[in-house]
Amino acid sequence: MDTSQSLFIPVILGTARMGRMSLHAARLVTGELSKCAGVETDLIDIANLPLPTNDAGEAIKQADFSAKMSKADALVVVSPEYNHGYSGLLKHVLDSCLKEYIHKAVGIVGVSAGPFGGTRVIQNLLPVMRELGLVTIFWDVNFSSVQKVFTEDGRLLDESYIRRIDKFLKELIWMAKTLRQGRARVSLD
Amino acid sequence: MAAVTKTDKMICPSCRVQMNHHCDKLVYTTDPQDAGQADPSLSGFIEELHTCPVCGGGASRHA
Repeated sequence: MDTSQSLFIPVILGTARMGRMSLHAARLVTGELSKCAGVETDLIDIANLPLPTNDAGEAIKQADFSAKMSKADALVVVSPEYNHGYSGLLKHVLDSCLKEYIHKAVGIVGVSAGPFGGTRVIQNLLPVMRELGLVTIFWDVNFSSVQKVFTEDGRLLDESYIRRIDKFLKELIWMAKTLRQGRARVSLD
Repeated sequence: MAAVTKTDKMICPSCRVQMNHHCDKLVYTTDPQDAGQADPSLSGFIEELHTCPVCGGGASRHA
């Protein structure tokens, strides 16, 4: 496969709650990703996905989301922590695909109003990612006390996050490149 | 019914080259259409994942 072909790494915003501060985190990460050479990105807001709730799993697969997951080389999931867990809607969306995710990298960004930066939601997402066939990286980004990190209109107040996001994305891109080669060249047989 | 990996290579519909078989994913399903394909010893069925080495496109099939 042509290694010069751009990587596609969409960012999934994992909450539909009104007033969500995670939107600012997702926009920041998407912006940093868009600065990376050889990377295309897109912000996927799960609030905008027209998935029914009277069924679940691949039965409710949405064509556009499925196509983006198929095209993706890696994912970034930005998730707030709700009662130590992730939103039900995020799980509903993730479960609508399966083979689209296999042997692709994923990095998780945790967001919380409290001091732990979504560490518990990240821990709870890891086994889900594993079962979906995604390969998790060992870097996370944790937005603690997120209401102090961004202004209400989304301006970043703490520039130290840029360095952490840079490290996170470099690892994710390395894994995405490696897994792209693996999918194309390393046989299971 | 045992799930056995197929040996014939999948062909990329775009590039017409052999695709790389890189994954056997165990899939648990409640879909009645898949019930007959489940391997009792695995409690599910194997979905093979294949990727084209030229264009990177993916494809899958039941093992």
